[in-house]
Amino acid sequence: MIQVQDLVKSLDSRPVVRGLSFTARDGAITGLLGANGAGKTTTLRMICGVLQPESGSVTIEPGGAGALLDHMGIYPRLTVRENLAYFGMLRGMPPAVLAERIDHVLATLGLQAVAHRRTAGFSQGERMKTALGRAILHAPKNLLLDEPTNGLDVPTVRSLRDLLRRWRDAGACVLFSSHVLEEVGTLCDQVVIVEHGRVAAQGSPAELCRQTNSASLEDAFVKLTCTGDPAIC
Amino acid sequence: MLNSVLVVARKEVIDSLRDTRSLTSSLMYALMGPAVVFMVSLASAAASRMDAVLIGMMSVFTLVAAFVGGMSVAMDTVAGERERQSLLPLLMNPVRRREIVWGKWLAVSLFAVAGLILNLAGFALVFARSGMHLPWPAVAAGILPLAFLAASIQLLISTVCRAAKEAQTYLSMLVFLPMGLGLFQVFFPVSAHAWFAFLPVLGQQLQLEYWMKGGSAAFVPAAALGCCTAVLALLVLEVAANRLHRDEIVYGN
Repeated sequence: MIQVQDLVKSLDSRPVVRGLSFTARDGAITGLLGANGAGKTTTLRMICGVLQPESGSVTIEPGGAGALLDHMGIYPRLTVRENLAYFGMLRGMPPAVLAERIDHVLATLGLQAVAHRRTAGFSQGERMKTALGRAILHAPKNLLLDEPTNGLDVPTVRSLRDLLRRWRDAGACVLFSSHVLEEVGTLCDQVVIVEHGRVAAQGSPAELCRQTNSASLEDAFVKLTCTGDPAIC
Repeated sequence: MLNSVLVVARKEVIDSLRDTRSLTSSLMYALMGPAVVFMVSLASAAASRMDAVLIGMMSVFTLVAAFVGGMSVAMDTVAGERERQSLLPLLMNPVRRREIVWGKWLAVSLFAVAGLILNLAGFALVFARSGMHLPWPAVAAGILPLAFLAASIQLLISTVCRAAKEAQTYLSMLVFLPMGLGLFQVFFPVSAHAWFAFLPVLGQQLQLEYWMKGGSAAFVPAAALGCCTAVLALLVLEVAANRLHRDEIVYGN
């Protein structure tokens, strides 16, 4: 479970996140939905601990967190295995456990065939899978993903969604951000709509539609985040 | 603590050793000095002695070698990592940022020391022809720490830059620091001030020249200079580690 309480963060004295609170449950996929610049990425980075909030708190239930942020750079001169091993060693995993976990992750993501290849020249999908493997190496109970499907082809997106569902069914807490409404609608049990660094609304996709009398999540999103721009509203 | 530092250092060394193109250019840089001095010495072989100009050149090349050995590693290891967007995932690991910087510094230092030793070995060969020998213990104590200082400054610059190319520009400019100071001293000797012997870069230049001119290789002053240089290296490294805590390291690309 990930609990976020009154997070506040400014960038160059411009407020980006202003008092954001929500809870992502275990055994559920929670979608962080918002327009570009709404504060999704900054929020996820604060949850991961790479940015310090000015105020507010982040509580991650025991079981650890793994994250696939929008920066998913891997080392091109290292092989897939070496990329994974580097992060495993930084986590202090004993060599025997690490080797076993790497085998498991490579099998889960279907990366065995390229495991010993250097990652230079990898396709976008292979790079994403390597970065994802790195994030789930320590079998975290909480998983954060920042727009993970950006730039991926259809088969890769589908296999990623299947993985997320499987993890949820195994009891994990999955939190992912997106601005693709269709994706959030089909995948998420719970949606948190972020607008100008605050939570504009939250609930299941069906609840949000009912609440706003909308036929689709897209309509609901527009109604909930409408800022008075006549071209949109 | 030590373990994570070594894990980072090991990865950076393996990664950099595979970057054969950068490695080749660093190697050529390190051996350029001995090659040039050797050719000039052939021209003046009739005089059968190393004159002051040759010795001055040699010492400047050696100072420069300390700054070029780890240059490509330094630019790749923070600025390059930031550019390739792998710095953020790295910082997400349960490792203190200071440990990451120390690990990277260790790797850069290793390459800087290797460049410096290669350069000195080259000069040792050239100078052996005229029966001169480098005082290796004093060299190790006084000159090698310059590589640590170079690594620290280069890492600091690399944490300020956002891309490897930007870092390369400033790191190339940094090479002019030992070159400029060294040449200044060759043409305007200031050895009258005793305290210059403890100044990093200038001190190393003075020592190299002193030895080459046949001065005795006292270990203690060399070690004192080495200590001053190492302390400065640690201070600069601390500044670099603090920079990694800033938000802009995570933002901006």
